[in-house]
Amino acid sequence: MKKLVIVSLVLILMVGLLGGFALAQGKKPKIAWCPAIDDPFYYMIGKGIADKAKELGLELFVSEYPKAWGPEIQVPILEAVAARGDIDVIITGPTSKEALIAPLKRIHDSGIEIITVDTYIGDGDYSKPSEYSFPLTFIGTDNFQGGVEVAHHLAEMIGKKGKVFIETTNPDVSSVVERVEGFKKGMSEYPDIEIVGVEYNLDVQEKAQQQVAAALQANPDIVGVFGTNLYSAQGAYQAVVNAGLTGAVKIASWDATEDLIKALREGKVDLVLAQKPYEIGTLAVEAAYQYFVEGKEIPKRMVPRFFFFTRDNVDDPESQQYIYRAD
Amino acid sequence: MENNRLSFGQRVAIQVGRNWVTLFLVVLVVLFSLTGRGFFSPKTLNNVLLTSSPALLLAAGETFVIITGGIDLSVGFVRGLISVISAIIMRDLYAQGYSPSFCIPLGIVVGLALGLLPGLINGILVARFRVPPFIATLGMYGVANGFALRFSKGFPITFLPPEVGQIGNGFFAYFLPGRGVSFFERHPDIVEGEMRNLIGIVPYSIVVVAVLLSVFAFILSRTQFGQHVYAIGGNIDAARRAGIPVDRDLIRVYMISSFFAALSGVMSTLIFSIGTHTQFSASLELFAIAAVVIGGASLMGGKGSIWGTTLGVFVLALLEIGFLMSGILPFYRYIAVGTILVFAVVIDQTFPEVVYE
Repeated sequence: MKKLVIVSLVLILMVGLLGGFALAQGKKPKIAWCPAIDDPFYYMIGKGIADKAKELGLELFVSEYPKAWGPEIQVPILEAVAARGDIDVIITGPTSKEALIAPLKRIHDSGIEIITVDTYIGDGDYSKPSEYSFPLTFIGTDNFQGGVEVAHHLAEMIGKKGKVFIETTNPDVSSVVERVEGFKKGMSEYPDIEIVGVEYNLDVQEKAQQQVAAALQANPDIVGVFGTNLYSAQGAYQAVVNAGLTGAVKIASWDATEDLIKALREGKVDLVLAQKPYEIGTLAVEAAYQYFVEGKEIPKRMVPRFFFFTRDNVDDPESQQYIYRAD
Repeated sequence: MENNRLSFGQRVAIQVGRNWVTLFLVVLVVLFSLTGRGFFSPKTLNNVLLTSSPALLLAAGETFVIITGGIDLSVGFVRGLISVISAIIMRDLYAQGYSPSFCIPLGIVVGLALGLLPGLINGILVARFRVPPFIATLGMYGVANGFALRFSKGFPITFLPPEVGQIGNGFFAYFLPGRGVSFFERHPDIVEGEMRNLIGIVPYSIVVVAVLLSVFAFILSRTQFGQHVYAIGGNIDAARRAGIPVDRDLIRVYMISSFFAALSGVMSTLIFSIGTHTQFSASLELFAIAAVVIGGASLMGGKGSIWGTTLGVFVLALLEIGFLMSGILPFYRYIAVGTILVFAVVIDQTFPEVVYE
């Protein structure tokens, strides 16, 4: 009788221990998604996160989509989310490399893991110990590399010679600055291609149109324009259409919004680089799952590749998944 | 003060002081013609006219507000909101099979009508509740942007009827060297290579803008309401004591401002065939205010004109295009715009009696 009690006690204890252990290892994390800004790109990341979380059966909380880019708007949102007390991991795009280090560190120290997507803190290298190496991982596009690849594609399209022009948004936003720098680097491999100018439209289409029209007037032999985002490309192709140069001036653009894809089909735009925001979202949730449930080591950096839309592949069924859609 | 009592030098000084913006504009054209390759051409003129319409509209509305001594910070985002709303109406009706000749005008009209609402609210807040214009319109700045993002989800509104872009970018006439002029449509048998030489004459958009600016310039300078606007800006308490219906007039002024912002939004939709919310970095309201001030208005109120504002917009547009075509880095343009803005106010402050004796 006594033996039986001891055996059953031991059994109960073991089951309890195992159960408890299993619980500690296999705890399904509750995820919070805190976008950096309300735009198609972040919307697509959010979609990837939501779909993957559903698939893996993870609970997801989505904070508001801020209407402006900046730490002063983002930090209060992050702190409010951390204060809920039920979140295990926050996925976010830091709006400043420097200003977000301290707030995210505080949140991390309170027991919440951080995954940064699209943008990073510090220099983005979380593999070496440093004051900003605490996030689980950084998953994001390499803007510089994208610029280089756009340059190579555009160079092919214009026969590796002639004048090209860069239409971009701001001189102080790192993502577009890196695209421009990468593009310059890529074009530097072609001795017969000359970059005749870089202009900044502050995300105003009329300004982009005005600037590209003026550039075409000053250099009538421009054969290619790189618009670093939707508004730059939009203004650029409208200027080219108005000048009657459709086809003669190739337009390369960044981000596969439906409008740019439509313009590509209509022959107004010739190349569209798609980042893979949906994939960034799914990778982030997978990383959280692997870390919490499977106890795996997560690579400190993941870089999804690009997809290039041209008129040849724009109607292929497998291309469609890379278009950014609101629904 | 009678002019014939002044010396010749004083009279020249008065003329220069009064018309310095015009002179400056002429100097810019001459300067850029020398430095900018291909600057002096009808295409550049078209570029300035075509792409200045939205700025002209925003600045014209802002002129009324600034003359009353107020400020309207919401115009940039009201423009984005109305661009989004008018585009959504056009897109959804077109998708349901309505003809473009129905959905385009409806999108325009509903957009313009809704565009009066932010101004009505701004005006009531400023006039009845005595909210400082800076705060009232800063509130509307956030509200309008929030709604625009709510409706568009941050995406541009696309899939509008194809005619939208044709209206927005159309010209009354086209001139092709060697082939003559064709009205309303491009030469029907035009070939690829000739398009490069095609010159559009008088874009539709600028005609709409010119007519509206003329009408509102008339309202401002020749009507009783226009006089009230200046009187309110000169001294609002005196205006009240003089029996001017200050509250009603202020509400009208803010409605005019947001109507112009809405028109600018509709026009942006027509030109680019997409509805776009205004991006935060655009600072459209600040450029509008700069143009108004360069055009001779004072933020203290009581001064300014539509004509002056028009010149102010063209100065900014010419700086933009001329610097680019002269191959000067864009950063110097920001410096130039900043300098000229301050210069305009210094002239105002230093020689008020010379400029407006």
